[in-house]
Amino acid sequence: MLLQVILSGLATGSIYALVALGLALIYNTTEHVNFAQGEMSMVSAFIGFTFFHSAGFSLPVAFLLTLAVSAVLGIIVERLVIRPAMRAPHFNIFIITLGLSIVMKSLAGFVWSHDDFPYPSIFPNETITVGNATIDMISIGNIGTTVILMLMLFIFFKYTRYGTAMRAVSHSQNAALLMGISVKQSFSITWAISFLVAAVAGILMAPVVFLSTHMGMVVINGFAAAILGGWGSIPGSIIGGMLLGIIDNVAPLYLPSQIKNVVPFMVICIVLVIRPKGIMGIERLTKV
Amino acid sequence: MQGLNKGKVLSWTGVLIIIALLPFILSKYTVFLLSLLAVYALVALGLNLLMGYTGQIAAGHAGFLALGAYFTAIVGTQVEWMPCLVIILMAGIFTGIVGFLLGIPILRLKGFYIAMATLAFGVVVSEIILQWSSLTNGDDGFQVPIARIAGFSFDSDFKLYYLIIFVTIILTLFAKNLANGYIGRAFIALKESETAAQTIGIDLAKYKTIAFAISAFYTGIAGGLFAYLITYLSPDAFTIELSIDFIAMIVIGGMGSILGSIIGAVILTGMQQVLAGLQNLQILIFGFSLIIFTIFMPRGISGMLNTLLERLSLAMRSKNKELAQES
Repeated sequence: MLLQVILSGLATGSIYALVALGLALIYNTTEHVNFAQGEMSMVSAFIGFTFFHSAGFSLPVAFLLTLAVSAVLGIIVERLVIRPAMRAPHFNIFIITLGLSIVMKSLAGFVWSHDDFPYPSIFPNETITVGNATIDMISIGNIGTTVILMLMLFIFFKYTRYGTAMRAVSHSQNAALLMGISVKQSFSITWAISFLVAAVAGILMAPVVFLSTHMGMVVINGFAAAILGGWGSIPGSIIGGMLLGIIDNVAPLYLPSQIKNVVPFMVICIVLVIRPKGIMGIERLTKV
Repeated sequence: MQGLNKGKVLSWTGVLIIIALLPFILSKYTVFLLSLLAVYALVALGLNLLMGYTGQIAAGHAGFLALGAYFTAIVGTQVEWMPCLVIILMAGIFTGIVGFLLGIPILRLKGFYIAMATLAFGVVVSEIILQWSSLTNGDDGFQVPIARIAGFSFDSDFKLYYLIIFVTIILTLFAKNLANGYIGRAFIALKESETAAQTIGIDLAKYKTIAFAISAFYTGIAGGLFAYLITYLSPDAFTIELSIDFIAMIVIGGMGSILGSIIGAVILTGMQQVLAGLQNLQILIFGFSLIIFTIFMPRGISGMLNTLLERLSLAMRSKNKELAQES
C-alpha cells in the first residue's frame, strides 16, 4: 500500500518538480520570481488541445507544435512585460508576473471557457505490476519525461555556449556584459526555456487533473516544491517536487483527508520556519 | 498636525458635512456601496502601511479580513451586551496580535519568501475556518448579529454607514500621523535598504513586526465592519483572489500613499459595480492594470496626481517669475 502511494506520489511530484524547475530557471538567470509559471502550463496545455482537437493534428505533432509555440510565447512575454521593467526592483517584477498570471487565466477563460476538458496522454493507458503495487504507464512516462528533461537542461547549462553564458549572467550581470555576453538575449532564452518546461508540465499534468483554467494553481505546489528543495537549485527543484508529491499522497493516509488542500501551504510554512534555504539551498549573500 | 490654516479647516469641514449628508441624497444601495468602499479603504490603508511603506509583499490579507470578521461575528453572538465598537476594537487587536505573531517567523525571510508565507497564511486561515465548524459553522456560513451600542442598534445600511465612516475617518487620520511620524519614516528607510536602515540604528526586527501588527490591526477592524455590513459570512468569500484584489487596489491607487489607498478602494468598489455581471472582464482589467501600472506608473494614480501638481506649481512659479521680471 505504502509503495503504491509513494509511486503515485512520484508521478504527481514529477509535475511539481517541472513547475519548480521552471521557477528556478528564471530565478537563476534573472533573479525574478515568476508567479505566472502555473498559468504558463495551463495556456500551453490549451494550445496543445487546440492543435489536436480543433486543428486535427496527431498527438505527437500537436505536442511538438505546442512546445515550439510555447518557446515563442516565452520570448514574447519577456519582451513585452519583463524587459520594460528590467531595471526596476524585484518587488515590481513579482507584481507584474502576478498581473500576468491573472491576465493569462482570464484570457484563457475568454478563448476556451472555464470548463473542464478530458485530455489524452501520449503514454498508453495501461498498468504494470511491480511486486504488490500496480502503476500505470502514464505515471511512469511522466516521471521519465521529467528526469530526461532535467538531464537535458543540466547538459545545456553545463556544456553549451548559451548555457554557460546564462550561468555567467546569473553570477553577475555586469561582469557578463563586460565579457560580451548579451544579458537581454539571456533573459529571452531563459523565458523561452522556462515556458517550454511549463508546456511539458502542462501536457503531462492535463491528462491527470483534466484540462481547465484552474490548472494554473499548481504554481503554489511548485513554489512549495522549490522552497522545500532549495530555492533556485535545479536538482533541489526535482528533489523538492518528488518529495512534495510523496507528502501530498502519504499525508491523507495518516491525517484527516481534508489535509490535502493545505499540504503545500503547510510545507511552505514549516520549511520557512525551520530551514528557509531548503534541502539543497545555498545561502545567498548580497553585497550592499 | 502642522499647517492647520483657516482654509484647510474650512475645506475639511465642508468635506465632512458632505460625507455626513450623502446618505440623505443617495439610494440605499449606493450608501451600502460607500460603506463597502470605506471598509476596502481600511484594508488598503493597512496593506499599504506594510507593502507600500516597508516594501514587504503581503499576499494573505484576505486571511486577516476573515479573522476580524469571524472574531466580530462570534464574539457578537456570544456576548450580546458588548458595544459593537468595543468588539470591533477587540477584533482589530486580536488580528493585530496574530499579525505580530506571524511577523516573528517572517523576520527571518526576505523578499518573495514573505509573499509565499503570507499567501500560505491566508489559505490556512480560510481552511481553519472551514474545518473548525463547531465554532464557525464551516461551510454553512455564519449569521452576524446586529451591531449595538447601549440599546441603539445599527440595523440598517443607513445607520451602519455612519458607524463605518466614523471608524474609517479616525483610522485614516491615525494612519496619516503614523506615516508622517517616526515610525512611518523608519518603514520607508526599511524599504529603501534594510542594511542601510540598520546602520542608522533602526531596529529591523522591531519595525518589521510593528508593520505586520499594524497592518493586521487595520485589516482586522475592516473585517469587523465588513461582517456587520454584509451580515452573513462564508469561508469561501476570503480567497487568494481577494488578497490579490487588495494588492491590485494599492498598486493602482498608489503605493506608500494614504490618498492612494483611498483611490484604490474607490476603483475596486467601482469596478466591482460597473462590471458586476462580467466578472471575467473585471479580472482581466485588474490583471492588465497591475502590469501596466507597475511598468509605467509604479507610484500609482496618487503618484501621478502628485507629479501633475508639482509640475503645475512649477509652471505657475516660473510664470510668476517671468511676469515679475517683465514688470
